[in-house]
Amino acid sequence: MRPVSSLSLSPSVKVRLVSAGFRFTSDLRGLKPLQLSKEASLSQPEALEVLQTVRRVVGGDEGGGGASASLTALELLQKEEEELRSIVTFSSQLDAALGGGLPVGKTIEICGAPGVGKTQLCLQLAVDVQVPSCFGGVGGQMVYIDTEGSFLLQRVVDIATAGVRHCSLLAEDDEQRVAMETFTVETILSNMFLVRCHDYVELLAELHLLPGFLSAHPRVRLLVIDSVAFVFRRLFDDLSQRTRLLNDLAQQLIAMATRHKMAVVITNQMTTRLRGGQSQLVPALGESWGHAPAIRLLLHWVGPQRMAAIFKSPAHMDSTIQYQITSEGFRDANQCEQPQSKRPRRHTNQPAASQRVTSC
Amino acid sequence: MDWHQLDLSPRITAAVRRAKLKCVQDVLCVSGLDLQRLTGLSRSDVQQLITAAATACRPHPPVPALLLHRGECRRLESGLRLSVGCPVLDELLRGGLPVGGVTELSGESGAGKTQLALQLCLSVQYPTQHGGLNSGAVYICTEDVFPSSRLQQLISDQSCLRSDVPPTLISRLQFSDHVYIEHTADLESLQVCLSRRVPLLLARGAVRLLVVDSVAALFRCEFQASDWLERTKQLLSFSSTLHHLSQEFNTPVLCINQRRHRDPPNPGRQEAPPLSSNVSPALGLAWANQVMVRLMMRRLQETVARGNQRSALRRLEVVFAPHLARDGRDAAVWREGVRGLTGSECTDVQH
Repeated sequence: MRPVSSLSLSPSVKVRLVSAGFRFTSDLRGLKPLQLSKEASLSQPEALEVLQTVRRVVGGDEGGGGASASLTALELLQKEEEELRSIVTFSSQLDAALGGGLPVGKTIEICGAPGVGKTQLCLQLAVDVQVPSCFGGVGGQMVYIDTEGSFLLQRVVDIATAGVRHCSLLAEDDEQRVAMETFTVETILSNMFLVRCHDYVELLAELHLLPGFLSAHPRVRLLVIDSVAFVFRRLFDDLSQRTRLLNDLAQQLIAMATRHKMAVVITNQMTTRLRGGQSQLVPALGESWGHAPAIRLLLHWVGPQRMAAIFKSPAHMDSTIQYQITSEGFRDANQCEQPQSKRPRRHTNQPAASQRVTSC
Repeated sequence: MDWHQLDLSPRITAAVRRAKLKCVQDVLCVSGLDLQRLTGLSRSDVQQLITAAATACRPHPPVPALLLHRGECRRLESGLRLSVGCPVLDELLRGGLPVGGVTELSGESGAGKTQLALQLCLSVQYPTQHGGLNSGAVYICTEDVFPSSRLQQLISDQSCLRSDVPPTLISRLQFSDHVYIEHTADLESLQVCLSRRVPLLLARGAVRLLVVDSVAALFRCEFQASDWLERTKQLLSFSSTLHHLSQEFNTPVLCINQRRHRDPPNPGRQEAPPLSSNVSPALGLAWANQVMVRLMMRRLQETVARGNQRSALRRLEVVFAPHLARDGRDAAVWREGVRGLTGSECTDVQH
């Protein structure tokens, strides 16, 4: 039994229903559209829609597995352990800082000054998400929404080639060797779906149609938008409209990340804010956008070194790591010879994850 | 786009007309509840409306990158690069300038920026198998008068620079007929030029390279320090025009920029990546965010000699680019154009 006010109906319909005395879904059960339209002074199509909505909601509740069925925290934890594996990157320091890689089912924002490596990290993740599961990866597909035109195939092929070479050096047992036969540059490219959006309307349209695409491609585990800021920062006179659209967009992304069990990576530019006569670099798109992503990763320069800092995350400590962009992609800064460590896993119920990708 | 082109029932189209929504794009910018209120349609009808509008605004579904790799999707990746005309510099740029996107070339005066831009105006005219795009170039001067005598000199020495191209082909090309020159002295005339004349040339296929020499001049002289908000707005509108032209016509855009001495180090700012000298391109972060490839040219102390010609040593550096490593090559400006050094020239230091 749900109060009528919680249904997804237009406000005017809800007001009329409540003022006619229909306060819970159970009050509406067994009514005919004609009856309801008379009693609540609704038009017939409206009444029909109300009854259909009620039937859908009630049916879901009786089925037991409805969307609103609550879970305990323990159940959630088990579900996460089973379903939501992280995307391992080729940088062991970044993996460690993120607690085992990029979490699937979350939204992650990457911000930084031009040229610091935002696009490089996005392209790297596009390859990382496809690492086969016997190497500890997710083995998924991905969608890349490019708004800046910076998805250059030359570079993607570089990074994919390096990724394949890296994994082929790690392959030890038969399962991994078999997996390597299908983990090639060609398959990596065939599992990357590219869209170019030239303005914010195209981006909004694409995001609206994406759930349909994701249902048809259930193996998609990563969505990259590079970058949100590029289309939303120009030609906007009405800043309040921009804020509203960005809020809608953030809601859509979070819903998609949760429903389709994928990581959503968005990039953002930096802007200068003047405060007390001092200029300061802050992520663009305003204060309220900062609440949208679950994790914010800030890439920045310290002298000649590239650094990545996690500065918002509910699950991780604030930490800063060093990285570098090599010809192979996004890698740890000091390429010392680390032994391939088996990453300790709290629950060893995953025989497949015998060896996880680490940077060497 | 008109409403009746959408795949919708007449009932919904009529309701949309009544609600005075002007164009299809508006549907996507209004939230679902507002649409219900404005049009008086039911929730499922509004969903249909939004889906139809989204389908109309997004012409192409996601494409696997493999199709781009095989060259089956020219719309997204033409695989073309605009060659600089020198194998050493082309190797640094992995083939040349990318055809979609804004490339910035910055450097102090006398570094050889204009020389390189003129050379690109000629190399764009070669057929694609020789690194060109088989079309002309439009050159927008905002600072100085166009150096046409130097262009003539470059044209007459083309056969010396491009020894890889058959001389009969070079003599057939009418280089100077395909370089269109525009002089714009203020921002307003620049906007007019970019929004009217340049799209016309591009649409006709007469040009496939846009050079702006230089972007900093207009934005630096027309605005006071206190007008920075207006300046940023104008700068964004300018850069989005360039970006749009580049994407729509698959055309490389080269912007020449001045350099400024970097502000004294401020611990709160980590904007600029470390460079080998203490200067950075002008126009700051707002402009840098809009640039895809940033190149820098520097003039060094040494001079190089080749035969009876002497030239100051230059260095072309990649500051950032999505597909290039941070690297640089030594170069020199000769009579026939800019060339990367191969080691056959002799270097001597003169202060």
